[in-house]
Amino acid sequence: MVATLVRLKLRILGHQMRREPWRAVMFGLGAFWALTMLPGLIGGLVWLAGQTSEIRHDVLILAGALILLGWAIVPVLVFGSDDSLEPARFATLGVAPERLMPGFLVAGLVSIPAAFTAVLSLGLLIVWWDGGAAVRALVVVCAAVTPITALLVSRFATTAGTRLLGSRRARESTAVIGALSIVVLGPGVVTIAHLGLEGALQRVPAVADVLAWTPLGAVWSVPAFAADGDWPGAFLHLAVAVASAVLGYRLWALMVARAMVSPPGRGGEGRKHGDRMIAGIRARRRSPLVAASLAIAARSSRYWVADPRYVIALISSIALPLVIAVMLATVGSAPKSVALSIGMLVAGTIGWGRHNDVAFDGSAFWMHLASGAPGIADRAGRTIAVLLWGVPAVAVGSVAGAAVAGRWDLVPAALGAGLGVLLVGLAVSSVSSVTLPYRVAAAGASPFATQMGSAGASIIAQLMTSVVTGLLSLPVLVGYGLALWWRPSVGWVVLAVGVIGGGVVLWRGLVIGGAAYERRGALVLAKLV
Amino acid sequence: MSETPAGRPEPAPGVPTSAAPALAMRGLYKRFGATVAVAGLDLDIPVGSFYGIVGPNGAGKTTTLSMATGLLTPDFGAVWVHGVNLWLEPQRAKPMLGILPDGLRLFDRLTGAELISYSGLLRGMDPDVVRSRRDDLIAALDLTGAAGTLVADYSAGMTKKITLACALVHAPSVLVLDEPFEAVDPISAQGIRRILRTFVDVGGTVVMSSHVMALVEQVCDRVAVVAAGRVIASGTLDEVRGGMGLERRFVDLLGLEDINQDLSWLRPSSG
Repeated sequence: MVATLVRLKLRILGHQMRREPWRAVMFGLGAFWALTMLPGLIGGLVWLAGQTSEIRHDVLILAGALILLGWAIVPVLVFGSDDSLEPARFATLGVAPERLMPGFLVAGLVSIPAAFTAVLSLGLLIVWWDGGAAVRALVVVCAAVTPITALLVSRFATTAGTRLLGSRRARESTAVIGALSIVVLGPGVVTIAHLGLEGALQRVPAVADVLAWTPLGAVWSVPAFAADGDWPGAFLHLAVAVASAVLGYRLWALMVARAMVSPPGRGGEGRKHGDRMIAGIRARRRSPLVAASLAIAARSSRYWVADPRYVIALISSIALPLVIAVMLATVGSAPKSVALSIGMLVAGTIGWGRHNDVAFDGSAFWMHLASGAPGIADRAGRTIAVLLWGVPAVAVGSVAGAAVAGRWDLVPAALGAGLGVLLVGLAVSSVSSVTLPYRVAAAGASPFATQMGSAGASIIAQLMTSVVTGLLSLPVLVGYGLALWWRPSVGWVVLAVGVIGGGVVLWRGLVIGGAAYERRGALVLAKLV
Repeated sequence: MSETPAGRPEPAPGVPTSAAPALAMRGLYKRFGATVAVAGLDLDIPVGSFYGIVGPNGAGKTTTLSMATGLLTPDFGAVWVHGVNLWLEPQRAKPMLGILPDGLRLFDRLTGAELISYSGLLRGMDPDVVRSRRDDLIAALDLTGAAGTLVADYSAGMTKKITLACALVHAPSVLVLDEPFEAVDPISAQGIRRILRTFVDVGGTVVMSSHVMALVEQVCDRVAVVAAGRVIASGTLDEVRGGMGLERRFVDLLGLEDINQDLSWLRPSSG
C-alpha cells in the first residue's frame, strides 16, 4: 500500500507536469533554489560549530522552530497545500485508514520542502561533529524525526484552517475571529517592533528554553543537551520530540478516519434568513446600471464574510503585511519607516489581491453574463464591496503606523500613499480579472487547495499586475518619500494626489475593465468552467 | 456550413427581422482541442413552439445551447434571437432570453430567495417588481420552505428549480433549458411542465434538451435530433417520428447496435 500511494503521488505529479510545463519549470526552480540555499546554510552551520554550546542551542531552537512554523503558515496563507492524496478521495475504496496511513506519511515526505528539511537536519552533524559518536548518532535520530514532525505540523494547520472556515455554522463567526486576532496581533507586533533587535535578542535564551519543551523546538534541542553531557536532559527532550511525533501521527490518523466517513461539503442545515440582497435597494427609479452595480456589491459583500476563500484573503491581506513589517523591523535598522509603510503594504495587498476576482465566482459567473448587465456595473459592484472594508483598513493601518513611529506630521503622506496604492491596485485588478483570469479553488472546496491547470497563467497574471500596480503607484510613493526625507508638508499634496489621482485611475480602470468584460466575458467563463 | 471569422457572421439568408424565428442558429461550429463538439449546426426554433433537442451523450447539445445563449463564443456561425444578432447586439438580445444551463454553479452562498432577487436586479429590474415576482415564483415552484436556505444546502432538484426561477424572473420571450427535468421529482416536474405549457400558450417559446424520449414526446411539439454536432432530423414531432415511437426512431437514425457484450462475471458473489 505504501508503494502504491507513493507511485500514485509521483504519477499525479508527472501528469501535472506534462499538462502544464509551467509547473515543471516551477518545480525545477524550487529544487534549484533549495540547492543554491545549501552553500549559505552550510556556511552558517560551520560558523555555528565554532560558537559556544549555549549559542548553538539558542540559535538552532529558534531557527528550527521558525522552520516548523513555516510548514504551518506557508500552506495556509500563501501557497495552498497539495491535496492530490486528500484522504476523502479514498473514502469509497473501502480500504481501512490504518492501511492507508503509512502510505500518506511516506508520500507526504516525497516533496522538495521535506527533502530540504531532512538535509538541513542531517546538516546539524556539522554543528555537533566535535561532540563525539554518541552525539552524532543522536543528530541522525533527530534528523529522522524532524521531517515527520514538519509534515504533521503542516497537515494540522491546513486541517484546522479548513475545519474552522469550512463548517457553515461557524462561517460568520470566522470573520469576527479573524478581526479579533488581528486586533490582538497588532499591538504584539508593535511591542516587538518597539523592543528592537537588541531588546528582542536579550529574551532569546528564555524563549529557547521554553520552546525546547514544545514539539516545535524539542527535536532541535536534543544534541545540545547531549553535547553538554546532560544525557538525561537529552533523552527527556528526545522523548518529547518522539512522543509528540507519535501522538501527532495518531491524531492525524484519527482525522483521516473521520474525513473518510464524513466527507466535507455537505454540512447540516444552515441558518435561515430573509432576502438581504434586495433589502438595501429601494425602488427610486434608479438606472438599471446603478441597480445592477448595487446588487453585485451586495452579493460580493456577502462573499467577503461567508466564503472561506474570501475570508482567508481578507485575513491574510491584513496579517501578511503585519508579518512582513515585523520581519523588516527586527532585521532592518529603520523600524520607524517600516511602521510608516504598513498602510501602503495593506493597501497593496488588498488592491492587488483582487487581480483574479472573477475567478472566485467560478462558473457561477454565467449569471452575470446571461443577465447582460453592463461590464462597468460588474466592475464597479465588485470594487465597491472591497472599498467598503478596504478604505477603513488602509486608513487605520496608515494612521497607526505613523502613530507608532511617533510621526504625526506624516499622517497625511501615509494616508495619501496608502489610499493611492489601494485605488490604483483596484483599478489594475478591475482590468486584469477579465483579461488575465486563472482558475482558483472552487467555492466549497478547501480554501487551501491549489488549483490544477493554472500555474502558468497565475504566474503571468501575478507578475504583470504587480508590475503595473507598482508603476502606477510611483507618483504617490515618490511623494511619500519626499515627505519622509525632505519636508512633511508635501504630505498634503500626496494625500490629494492619492485620493483624486487614485480616483481617476480607478475610474479609468473600471471603464477599461468594463469594456474588456463586454468583449471577453464568454471567454472568461470558458476559462472558469 | 458557412464558415466566417468569429464575431463577424454573415447575415443568414431567410432571417428577416419581422416574423423571424424565436431562435435561429446558422453554421455554429465549436472545437475543443482536437474534438469538434459542434460541426456547423443550423436550426430554427419557430416562435411559440415547445422545442425538444435530443441526442446521445457527447452530441454537442450543451455546447450548442451555450453558444445559442451567449455563454460560449462560437468559433464560427451566428445566433439570432427574434432577429437580433446575439453576439453582435447582446444588450438587445439577452433580455429576451431566459436560460437554465446544465453543470454550471450558482452563487450558492445566497439563499434561494436572494438568488432570484439577484438575478432580477442584475437585469436592472425595479426592486418592487422583483420582490413580488420572487414571491410568486417561490410559491409556483414549491420552494416556500427552502426560500431562506442557502442554495449550497439545496438538493440537485431544488437547484434546478431555483435556476428556473432565476430564468423566469425577468419574463423572457425565449426560454432555453438544458436538461430542466433532470433530478426533479415527478410532482415538481408536473408543476414545471404546467408553467412552461402556459408560457408557450401565451406566445412564449421553450427550447429544452433532454435524454428522456418519453418526456420529449409528452411535452414538446417540435423536436430536433442532434448527433456528432449536427442536426440529423428536425421538424414537428410527427414528422420526425415517421409513425414510430421517438425512441425507436432515435435508435434508427443513429444506427445504434444493441450492445451484445455480456458481463458473464457480473453476479452477486462473495469475492
